[in-house]
Amino acid sequence: MSNYSAGLGKPGSGKRRLKDLLNQPDNRVCADCGASDPKWASTNIGVFICLKCCGVHRSLGTHISKVLSVTLDEWSEEEVDSMIEIGGNASANSIYEAFVPDTCSKPGPDVSHDQRMRFIRAKYELQEFLKPSLRIKSGKRSTKSSAFLTSSLSRKIMDSFKSNSSSQKMEGMVEFIGLLKVTVKKGTNLAIRDLMSSDPYVVLNLGKQKLQTTVVNSNLNPVWNQELMLSVPESYGPVKLQVYDYDTFSADDIMGEADIDIQPLITSAMAFGDPEMFGDMQIGKWLKSHDNPLIDDSIINIVDGKVKQEVQIKLQNVECGELELEMEWLPLDQ
Amino acid sequence: MGIVFTRLFSSVFGNKEARILVLGLDNAGKTTILYRLQMGEVVSTIPTIGFNVETVQYNNIKFQVWDLGGQTSIRPYWRCYFPNTQAVIYVVDSSDTDRIGVAKEEFHAILEEEELKGAMVLIFANKQDLPGALDDAAVTEALELHKIKSRQWAIFKTCAVKGEGLFEGLDWLSNTLKSGSG
Repeated sequence: MSNYSAGLGKPGSGKRRLKDLLNQPDNRVCADCGASDPKWASTNIGVFICLKCCGVHRSLGTHISKVLSVTLDEWSEEEVDSMIEIGGNASANSIYEAFVPDTCSKPGPDVSHDQRMRFIRAKYELQEFLKPSLRIKSGKRSTKSSAFLTSSLSRKIMDSFKSNSSSQKMEGMVEFIGLLKVTVKKGTNLAIRDLMSSDPYVVLNLGKQKLQTTVVNSNLNPVWNQELMLSVPESYGPVKLQVYDYDTFSADDIMGEADIDIQPLITSAMAFGDPEMFGDMQIGKWLKSHDNPLIDDSIINIVDGKVKQEVQIKLQNVECGELELEMEWLPLDQ
Repeated sequence: MGIVFTRLFSSVFGNKEARILVLGLDNAGKTTILYRLQMGEVVSTIPTIGFNVETVQYNNIKFQVWDLGGQTSIRPYWRCYFPNTQAVIYVVDSSDTDRIGVAKEEFHAILEEEELKGAMVLIFANKQDLPGALDDAAVTEALELHKIKSRQWAIFKTCAVKGEGLFEGLDWLSNTLKSGSG
């Protein structure tokens, strides 16, 4: 699997050249519907497009359009080169929209899925708007060579879409805003649940996600130093933490719990933007209060270009026990 | 003890639950497959920048199906969903031969994950309707499926927009889960 730095990446030279191209005025709107701030691209066609048009491009197949996200995907140097060579939306549209007949006007950002689909297919798959001379010779253009051969086949796929158009739905997607790396460091003076000691482990819950550490046998001051990774959706609540005593022959006993508020970490990280632009500094705080489990104010720091927060909590609904955590925020930049 | 009891109980009544992850590169067809299985319809999709989750009841098994986004920077998120997973459906765009090598690398990285050691693997060689699509034998070779050791797996040719091959795959999954290894 790709490592974390790759995806959430540092802008390499390719990425920067791509961003420069994207900032060109003609690329500030979608090449197909004019929606502002497009963040997707067809690398073989050479246009920047919006999310909705991207959905249509993808459905055509990669033999027509190869789609990448400007922010979420890694680009090869060749893919960046090919975009730069084509020169952006104005240049690509001067070819693909050279002759748009009056009967087929260009869609706006809010057209229906069907209209969008019809226009994009006509534009790239059937290539109906090229200069007449190009239409004849189009077999020579490598980016389009297969389009004519396959249009009848693709038409069948599109028909299968159309036949369902009345029942088409955009289903609910839960979007990620970032990853939360929680390092469960250690516990101190945890509660006794067996004869003399306990076999503790920590469970973290966020939404439907549930992660847990390993069990440390017979230890009331366990050291885990274990990293657990949670994905954070757009609307998130607190991370619910529970400590349990592992039992072989009966249900595990609870040894305390706590709600970890992750909002201070995420909002202060978002307020500062790219942490690599800053030196080590304090950027926020989760304040101790009577209704949270903090032992002390919990400071949010930029450390070596990373947003981190040390958290020390007193476990709740239990006679004793403290826990030490470190959280790190890895945003998903879109 | 509690777990053993519920297992016994549910197998007596023929109801099981299974947690399934649908993984694969971006634009492999994961979301289309999820909703084709769940609603029997073709939905128009946009890239999944997160996940979709639905329950699919089939052959007396309740599949909780998680469809996770496939963009490069979403792939590290897959790991958050590995614990307690019975099966992975790995979806490949069989017509995207340029990226089949990347699909292979991601696939084998998944197989090495400790938390997915017990999970069975179903591969969907999707988009069979598109020109130049590799068939199941070619995808088997490209993904180097022969390297899979000590794990149950199967590959099916599918076309999600027409619904072909998907339920055959689920049949295999439910039979394999019922035969006790789930």
